[in-house]
Amino acid sequence: MFDLQGYGFLLVKGAKLTIVVGIGALIIALLLGLVGSLFKLSKIKTLAVLAETYTTVMRGVPELVSILLVYYGAPTLIQDIAAFFGKNIYVNLDPMFAGILTLGFIYGAFTTEVYRGAFLAVPRGQMEAARACGMSAVLSFRRILLPQMWRFAIPGLSNVWMVLIKATALISVIQLPELLMNAGIAARSTHKPFSCYFAASLIYLLITILSIGFQQWAEKRASRGIRRE
Amino acid sequence: MSKTAPDALIVKDLYKNFGKLEVLKGISMEAHEGDVITLIGSSGSGKSTFLRCMNLLEIPTAGEIHVGGEYLKMIKNRRGKIVPSDKKQVDRIRTKLGMVFQHFNLWSHMTILENIMEAPVHVLKRPKKESKEYAMELLEKVGIADRSHYFPAQLSGGQQQRAAIARALAMDPDVLLFDEPTSALDPELVGEVLRVMQNLVKEGRTMIVATHEMGFAREVSSKIIFLDKGVIEAEGPPDYIFDSPDSERCRQFLSNLI
Repeated sequence: MFDLQGYGFLLVKGAKLTIVVGIGALIIALLLGLVGSLFKLSKIKTLAVLAETYTTVMRGVPELVSILLVYYGAPTLIQDIAAFFGKNIYVNLDPMFAGILTLGFIYGAFTTEVYRGAFLAVPRGQMEAARACGMSAVLSFRRILLPQMWRFAIPGLSNVWMVLIKATALISVIQLPELLMNAGIAARSTHKPFSCYFAASLIYLLITILSIGFQQWAEKRASRGIRRE
Repeated sequence: MSKTAPDALIVKDLYKNFGKLEVLKGISMEAHEGDVITLIGSSGSGKSTFLRCMNLLEIPTAGEIHVGGEYLKMIKNRRGKIVPSDKKQVDRIRTKLGMVFQHFNLWSHMTILENIMEAPVHVLKRPKKESKEYAMELLEKVGIADRSHYFPAQLSGGQQQRAAIARALAMDPDVLLFDEPTSALDPELVGEVLRVMQNLVKEGRTMIVATHEMGFAREVSSKIIFLDKGVIEAEGPPDYIFDSPDSERCRQFLSNLI
């Protein structure tokens, strides 16, 4: 009953791509979120407004719409602009590049909020003690605030990762042969949709279960000195 | 209280508003080397704010601060508020003013030893080995050398505060600022912290202490300042403040304590 008829390799190949897209987008989201949260907490109003606009837009538009907009919309927009200036060019986006970038930007908006909450959760006195010792703003951020922030951020970031890895399935709409798309190919070829999609869901589940293990490890590390052994 | 000793910390005509609330209304203070000045007064009288203005954890609305003869440069910003004009100067001056907080504020992700070595190594750029030896010496002095590899959360409040004092001492500050160092402690732990502070007084350290511990204030102070509603209501040597202050408000405050 559970026979993938040799299409298992296709699923594994798709899973690899899913993980690559997921991790690529995660790295962008983690970095972008850090910048976004610092902008939001900044005393400089322009930066705060910029970050606010970013999170509002990216969280407000459905992921699928953003993906389609970037992959199909952006090249034609660029072509139209070029045509306006009398140049005839053909722009074609690599689906992998477009997928990673779009997901990274979308989930960067969510990590922005996670980081912001985490920064605010570190007791004020920690930074005051650092500044009172003569530590500069940059040094005290790096040595005191940043290391303590992770403890509060990791649960939220793990959440974002879980949603993100599942959202990679949306990339199949732009013809990137990731796990869901390959599962679809396998399902149509073998006429065994249940087996193929069930196998794909097991792979997604496996990825998330491994992620939970990683989360627990990271959380323990970030709670150094706080958690009583 | 020697008038001839060099100036350690001078504050002139300090004002601080939080929005429309005036917390400090023109306070001046002179601390010479070796002085122990205690700030007393009820909660909300401005003791903590005054202390926090001295190392610019709060930016005063107006006034002058001189540390070791060096004037802390302030300028008016675009909105007419005064702000420190030289951030590097602020950081440098802060290294000379050791601060001990009510809630200790030890860095929770570092061991006690790491807490004490942090600023000497990263701010003063002292070698690690030397800083570690000095840190252990200081921990010995405050009586918790055996706790050097514990995290703050694993220590009692009294031990944490003694570690925080060691952290302040590690910078070899010219002046120590204490912001109600025993107010957050269980009564039975107050003594161990006060004893450490008494030893610092004996060493001849210059200290400014906001406190509710009247016995301690009376015993160690070269001068007591009684703050009330943001102004200095009374100031003078302990005998004057405790026995015959001219201020009715000061007499009232002290009699309410007993």
